[in-house]
Amino acid sequence: MDGAMVTPGRTAGLFAGAAVLRLAIFTLLPKLPDLLTGRVEISTPVTSFKRLQEGLFLYNHNVSPYDGGVYHQAPLFLPLFSLLPDFSSLPIFTYLLYTAADLLSALALWKIADSGEAGSSALFTSPRKGKRWSGFIIAALFLFNPFTVATCLGRSTSVFTTCAILHAIAKAVSGAPFGAMIALSFASYLSMYPLLLLPPLILLSYDRQRPERATKSGLKFAATCASVVAGVLAVLFQMSSLVTGSWEFLPSTYGVQLTLSDLTPNVGLWWYFFVEMFDSFRSFFLAVFWLHLASYVGGLTMRIRRQPLVVLTLLMGIFGIFKPYPSISDTSLFLALVPLYRHVFPLMRYTFVIAAVILYASFLGPAFYHLWIYAGSGNANFFYAITLVWGLGQSLLVCDLMFAVLRDEWEVERPEMVGKEIRQI
Amino acid sequence: MARQNSRQPPPEKPSDRRRRSHIILSFWLIVLCLGLPIWWKTTTIYRANLPLQEMLDWSDGKACRPVFPLHISIQANALQEHEAQHLLRLTQHALDDLNDFSGHHLRLQLAPPSGTSHYDRDSVLTIRLAPGETSTANFEPHEPVLDITYPPNGIPSPTSSSSPLATYIASQLRSAFAEEQAAISSLLSASSIPSDHRPQGLSPDASDALSKRPARSLRYAPTYHLTFSLFTGGPLPSSWDIEGAIDEYMKPVLDILSPIHNFTIDTQVQLYAAPGVQNEVLNKEDLSSFINAAEWPLSPSIGGAPTINFIVFVGDQTIATPSQQSSSEGDDASAPASHSWLIPQWGTVYLLPLPHDTTHLAASALKQPFLTFTSHLLSLTGIPQSGSLPLRLSTLARIRSADLLLRASSTLGSLARLALALPSISIPRSVADGVAKTIRHLRLACETLGGPEGLAHARVAEAEAERAFFEKSMVGQLYFPDEHKVAVYLPLLGPVAVPLVMGLINELKAWLKRRRDTAEAGKGKKRE
Repeated sequence: MDGAMVTPGRTAGLFAGAAVLRLAIFTLLPKLPDLLTGRVEISTPVTSFKRLQEGLFLYNHNVSPYDGGVYHQAPLFLPLFSLLPDFSSLPIFTYLLYTAADLLSALALWKIADSGEAGSSALFTSPRKGKRWSGFIIAALFLFNPFTVATCLGRSTSVFTTCAILHAIAKAVSGAPFGAMIALSFASYLSMYPLLLLPPLILLSYDRQRPERATKSGLKFAATCASVVAGVLAVLFQMSSLVTGSWEFLPSTYGVQLTLSDLTPNVGLWWYFFVEMFDSFRSFFLAVFWLHLASYVGGLTMRIRRQPLVVLTLLMGIFGIFKPYPSISDTSLFLALVPLYRHVFPLMRYTFVIAAVILYASFLGPAFYHLWIYAGSGNANFFYAITLVWGLGQSLLVCDLMFAVLRDEWEVERPEMVGKEIRQI
Repeated sequence: MARQNSRQPPPEKPSDRRRRSHIILSFWLIVLCLGLPIWWKTTTIYRANLPLQEMLDWSDGKACRPVFPLHISIQANALQEHEAQHLLRLTQHALDDLNDFSGHHLRLQLAPPSGTSHYDRDSVLTIRLAPGETSTANFEPHEPVLDITYPPNGIPSPTSSSSPLATYIASQLRSAFAEEQAAISSLLSASSIPSDHRPQGLSPDASDALSKRPARSLRYAPTYHLTFSLFTGGPLPSSWDIEGAIDEYMKPVLDILSPIHNFTIDTQVQLYAAPGVQNEVLNKEDLSSFINAAEWPLSPSIGGAPTINFIVFVGDQTIATPSQQSSSEGDDASAPASHSWLIPQWGTVYLLPLPHDTTHLAASALKQPFLTFTSHLLSLTGIPQSGSLPLRLSTLARIRSADLLLRASSTLGSLARLALALPSISIPRSVADGVAKTIRHLRLACETLGGPEGLAHARVAEAEAERAFFEKSMVGQLYFPDEHKVAVYLPLLGPVAVPLVMGLINELKAWLKRRRDTAEAGKGKKRE
């Protein structure tokens, strides 16, 4: 359980093991990835690999990939996947790409864990920080998490967003603010919602600047970071419009996320609401849902100012519950960051309930979906009910983690209260 | 002291307090700066300005008084100019005495003497006066011309104030236009046009014809869909020369009607079609159940254009006796037994007996059914029964334009009343555009009523008015009372609002308390 025990051999073994597991399933069980690709829990309209292939086919035949309203993903995926050999004849290259993305994510996570940012940030040092897991364990927990493996096998393009977000955090904690901003721009370009992570990420980069070239003024630093993000995004958009030949990708990718025009069921809470919504209130409630999602950023950033990485983790959990097209890949990202807080686990109160609820929802979710869609013996409410439970489990985890972190901070201020029952007022 | 400390938490640090205010402020800023404007923008109901008073005027008949000035020219080549003028004056007098309906006005004019076969295209009817043995009146079958002969002594002397010929012409004209007049006046009386425009008395004969006409004819539609169906009891005949038959027998009538209606056509052949009644001889009661509505694929008139069905049924069945037939007046009277009957507002069935080995129905074999169909089509479109065909058609055009004008006006009125009664209904810009267009065309139609442009404008006006009234985005909000909004907002926004509002209230309370405390402390200091 100590970082010193990790040898290069063990590292290589871990990565090789994870890669072999993925490639073995890809090659030995070729039916399974295709089954997973079709699951609503893994593939949402904005990340589905099937839709990516449709867009790729249109793109390679010189038709706008957004014709037909199936493809809603970023345009730069298309040249990337066109470079790979054809998926139908040589799928191994695609498998390698996805496996590599997962390994890169794990690498970034390893760096974050080894930096010790979770236990002692620039403004706050937890008294419990000694009790932590090494990067090896945290990377292993990520790589062998069934949700991560399923996402990778389902070839959902959210794998790349996850990779970009983790790298943005890794860059920020290692004192490379520009690298962090560039990585976050890529994540935002791919999925839009990571843009909301910008304020805590700027704070994290600000706190972890290298002393030799630190910018003292917070405002100046924030403005520089924001302009870097804007600049990179502008370049990416310009490239996208060159690739697709028009700006129509904006409404087809980000517009779909903003207006939820594709109501395919998923594990989130949006689709059911907007199936039932009165048309005249649709635009209002779309705005309410987005504002709700965005309103956490400011409050959390201010409340846990001293530990920006906690804010990022909690926001990741909140996005996994409340964003328009969530999938288990968002949960896997959140669950990848949670083990960084090994030191506050003893302060959490509902670990058993949370674990039970998440397991319960993970097993019953697919069953209820099957009952609704294939067996016809259930209806949409079955599936929606289980996604509510799923959301409940995740929000319990978010709340409990937040409670534990705040309690940890509070005990530094009030050392006499350590270990005593508290009551919220 | 230490004990009390452990029970009472230490006072909050100012930095914590400030942080909490900032957090509450950040949530409220989002609500106020983003939420409220978005709420306002997305839920305000767009109400385009409608000329409500003008719309109500139209529906009350204040905006337009439907007047049909009908010009009738008299050709009297055998008469002297002044004789003809005098006759015309007398006839006009007689007409005015007879006429009690100011909206429908016959105005005579003298046509310049010209070639015999010529008729005036501007006038509705041309009366050709010619000397003869007795007083007779005949309609030309293909032109709107009424031939009147008069006995040699029929010309009124320039001094006389009445003349039998003038009275005769007047009564002939009146009877020719009686049906139209009655139809229009009944239309007006059914609408909300003020009563002083209405005729006082209707002859029982006319009112009887009137009550029958709308019952049989279809509601006006700009387009009718004609379905020609061949049903056979057995496997034969399996084909028919329907295109030829339609071109030959149906097309001329459709062309004549084309200024008033568009027609779309489809045809079908159904083998082994069992009728609803299997009797050899069909009684009057059987006719209504003959159509096997459950099994015959006859398209109902749902949406789009109303359908008129024409069915040729090949079978051995006959209709009981011609004398019992009251609904097949249009049928060929010389036939020993009737073969067809008209189903009001629906179409026609024709029973066609054929040798059992006929495999193909030639166009010639379809002649009789199609002649029946054309005459029934005319009566289904509501064409008047009497008079020559050109006159009947122009009458139909006038009745239809009056009908359309009134319907467009009353639709406008309904829309205006709806907009007044439901203040929460949204009125999109397209509705306002439709209303403006309707009013413009109504005005044009009102000015040119009686002519072909009048009909065209009335058609546009009616179509626009219907489109505006049945605007989809309006209908959706028709029954959305304000109470329902609570049910829409509360379940989601209520739980969100509770912590927001409570947080704000607590914060304000604490702030007020702090202010009071500091004020008291300040006072205490002063007193010291």
